[in-house]
Amino acid sequence: MIKEWIARGIVVLGLAAVISIPVLKTVHGSNGIVMHARMAENGGWAPENLTAQVGEPLHLRLTSDDVSHGFAVGQLNQPAVEINPSEVTDITLVFTKPGKYTFYCTRWCSLNHWRMRGTIEVTDPQTKTEPAKPPLYVMLGLDIDEAHKAAVIPAGIPAAWRGALLRRSVPEVYQNRDYYFSHTPLDLWTALRSEQAYKDLSAQEVWDLVAWVWLANTTPEQVQAGKEIYAANCAACHGEQGAGNGVYADQLAAGTNSTDTNQSTGEHTQRPANFTDPVTMLSASPAHLQGKIIRGGMGTGMPSWGPIFTEDQTWQLIAYLWTFQFSSEVRP
Amino acid sequence: MKLNHWWHWVILAGLAFTVIFMPVPAGAATPIERTFRIDARRFEYDPAILKVNPGDRVTIELAATDVVHGLTIEGYDLQTTADPGMTASISFTADRSGTFRFHCTVTCGNMHPFMTGKLEVGQNTVLWRAIGLVGLALFAGVWKGRK
Amino acid sequence: MTRLQEFPWMEDSALDVAVPQSLKTRRVPSRINLYRIPWLKAMLENRWPQFLIRTVMLVGFVFTIATALLGSRVGSHNFAIIMVWIAWWTTLKLGFIPLGGRSWCSICPIPLPGEWLQQGGIMEKGKRRLGLYLRWPKALRGSWLQSGGFLLIGMFSAVTLTDPHVTGWVLLALFALAIGMSLVFEHRAFCSYICPIGGFSGMYSKATPVEVKVIDKEVCARHGDKSCYQACPWGIYPVAMKDSSACGLCMECLRACPKDNLALNLRPYGTDLARPITSSRLDETFLALIMLGSALVFSAVFLGPWGWLKMSAFNLGSQAWLVYAAGFLALNLLLLPGIFTLSVAVWKKISHNSLPLRRMIANEAQGLLPLGLLAWMAFTISFAIPKLSYVVGVLNDPFGWGWQLLGAGTGAYPDVSRLILALEIVLLSVGVAWSARVSRRLSQSEGKVNLPTNYPVLVFYFLYAGAFLWLLVG
Repeated sequence: MIKEWIARGIVVLGLAAVISIPVLKTVHGSNGIVMHARMAENGGWAPENLTAQVGEPLHLRLTSDDVSHGFAVGQLNQPAVEINPSEVTDITLVFTKPGKYTFYCTRWCSLNHWRMRGTIEVTDPQTKTEPAKPPLYVMLGLDIDEAHKAAVIPAGIPAAWRGALLRRSVPEVYQNRDYYFSHTPLDLWTALRSEQAYKDLSAQEVWDLVAWVWLANTTPEQVQAGKEIYAANCAACHGEQGAGNGVYADQLAAGTNSTDTNQSTGEHTQRPANFTDPVTMLSASPAHLQGKIIRGGMGTGMPSWGPIFTEDQTWQLIAYLWTFQFSSEVRP
Repeated sequence: MKLNHWWHWVILAGLAFTVIFMPVPAGAATPIERTFRIDARRFEYDPAILKVNPGDRVTIELAATDVVHGLTIEGYDLQTTADPGMTASISFTADRSGTFRFHCTVTCGNMHPFMTGKLEVGQNTVLWRAIGLVGLALFAGVWKGRK
Repeated sequence: MTRLQEFPWMEDSALDVAVPQSLKTRRVPSRINLYRIPWLKAMLENRWPQFLIRTVMLVGFVFTIATALLGSRVGSHNFAIIMVWIAWWTTLKLGFIPLGGRSWCSICPIPLPGEWLQQGGIMEKGKRRLGLYLRWPKALRGSWLQSGGFLLIGMFSAVTLTDPHVTGWVLLALFALAIGMSLVFEHRAFCSYICPIGGFSGMYSKATPVEVKVIDKEVCARHGDKSCYQACPWGIYPVAMKDSSACGLCMECLRACPKDNLALNLRPYGTDLARPITSSRLDETFLALIMLGSALVFSAVFLGPWGWLKMSAFNLGSQAWLVYAAGFLALNLLLLPGIFTLSVAVWKKISHNSLPLRRMIANEAQGLLPLGLLAWMAFTISFAIPKLSYVVGVLNDPFGWGWQLLGAGTGAYPDVSRLILALEIVLLSVGVAWSARVSRRLSQSEGKVNLPTNYPVLVFYFLYAGAFLWLLVG
């Protein structure tokens, strides 16, 4: 009979030991906030809203419940960390300025990837939050939803090097950043065309001149940085060559004609913009494009990048977008 | 088994040896360049079956169309991963003949371990030899199965 | 005292008792009685080693359920998914079954708690017992329910094998069912008639080299107590066992026999196959065909390059899944049984056999066992071996909480795809040769010496092996 009781004791003890592991874990918890990443369709981030104080480290333990994700905080311009299924990535954030920060997923994890966002409310008992400066398109009073079509477009891709070889001087008024930000390439072409000094040039040659002037507002470093941002955030819909034919384009386009809202996104999505189309691109100003980027497409499937990109990053991205219209190739 | 039937086993072994090592005339196709664009989505490759000739220079452009996917080919030491919007490309010379499975290397969901495709380099002689061996095994089973 | 007369097979065995083994002319294959080896006998006679292994298994089983429900949601990184469907399944298919038939049953933890309640104790039977001790309904005997259970698992396999929560609930359900059935029915009703693993382990154990067997039936005939039958948790009287398919190798009869008249034999492979046919059962043919059919389907779904097939198997409840489920059932219930019946019918015709077709189909089941066993081994090798590297990961961090039990080392694994390919071909060739041999002996034992080769059934084997090779190697 003693044998029997010892055996029973072993079974009960063994089971108690194994059950106590998850129980103890739940009672004790772990140090730091455990944050689970899931595809937006399956719930996105959990938890979604965090609070922190200026100067106080915020320790996060990140893990994924389905596929590969990434984590970054918008506006901070810090490298993203990878989150892989069943791996725990530790990250410590220290905020220097109060405000409402947006953290987001950095790897495309579905059509709704960009909906994987959450907020960190950073407070500071000492200082008050500065009111944000309104973006340029608001200050200019641009209606970025207005349809815009260039009536004149170049016959071929304008090339900056051909423009440079024309060796013409261009008035200072067209060659400063304020002009660049608030005007469209078509504005510049129309202005130059009407100048007496360029009457001898063909329409295409004026476009080449426009390309040269336009691209002088961007640097190769800016374009390179913009290219990386584009590949990671935009190419999945707008296409790697900017033609609006990315891997999700057909899914987004399917939301246009249906009377129901697009099942996977819950809205009337439309085909992504084609940056190789001169009709729309040459009639858009950098301020206009920046507005589209930071505000988003308001129900078209275009995310709002305002909380994510820094202002510099938006200009880098726009600098890269012009390379779909103008050849920046260097020729001797 | 009776010892005086040792020659039965010699015959069977000889036949098996023939089936396994019999040379097959290789098709004399001139190597060419081939490019495949594979759309990877959960949990399939499209196309999933790639046919090339031995010696071909093969380029695979891998485009992920929903989540991050990867690709590795058994028997060829190759690996790549592709994020949606960032097509990845690998090139290699198909210098090993046979059929090789390729599969996903990035956890892409529950069925991820079973996301596969295959690369067929030349004729799949292994399959025909295997079927030959099974036929031989059938014969051996009947022959040696007498009481 | 005993209910022996209620066992249908008792008449046959009574005959065996009347005509002792020693007087029969049948050539008895050579066997080695492992129970004669002193240290092994000591280990088996003592209940502790087996009890401790079962307890470790039970603790591991409960731990597995906990990780399934609380651990990582990602199948390929979940302890339960990997340990059950990769590690355990591989060990079962490549170790326990081919080496010892039902040997897994001897250490299976699932019936332990139920049996504790049913018997009133773990090591010895107690006075305070719990249960209704009903007899299992006669109509439900055989492996029909197990076949059905296996088909059910097959229909949902893509989800069960990859979703930790589903795996967790399936394991819990089996556990609860085993406990519940111990309380309602007598003996190991769950193991004998419900557990799908028990179903095919038992069937294939006919081909495998371990058996528990009475040494001298005359000794049993003279022994009135039948202590072995009293001790058997499965309710089996060892003298009456025709083959090893029902015996769970728990060793209780060896421990109970006062005359030391039971042997744990090591015997040649296939000893129970192709003998003069008294034990053939139609339900076994059915289960054997289902095992063959599901090996084909699983190879196509999990190892094939067809994404649409994977998705339709995975998206439960969708229209595509309904088509997949219908196809899966049609293959297993209509197509394979149909082709097999046709082959046997053709054989009956050309051999002018007077046996009823049903009986012939039941007999031919034995020929399907080696092929099925080795096809499953081949499938398991290509299914599980390339994924063994996942085992290290889940042992390192069973709950996905960032533990590092083994350190962070994730070494590179060698590419074994060519070796696997060769093994698959060898295994399938062995299966076909063995099945052909069994088939040949079966037709000889049917008495048609002038036409000893069952060509239609051989063609069936060849077509099946060809299709299987096309899926694995093609």
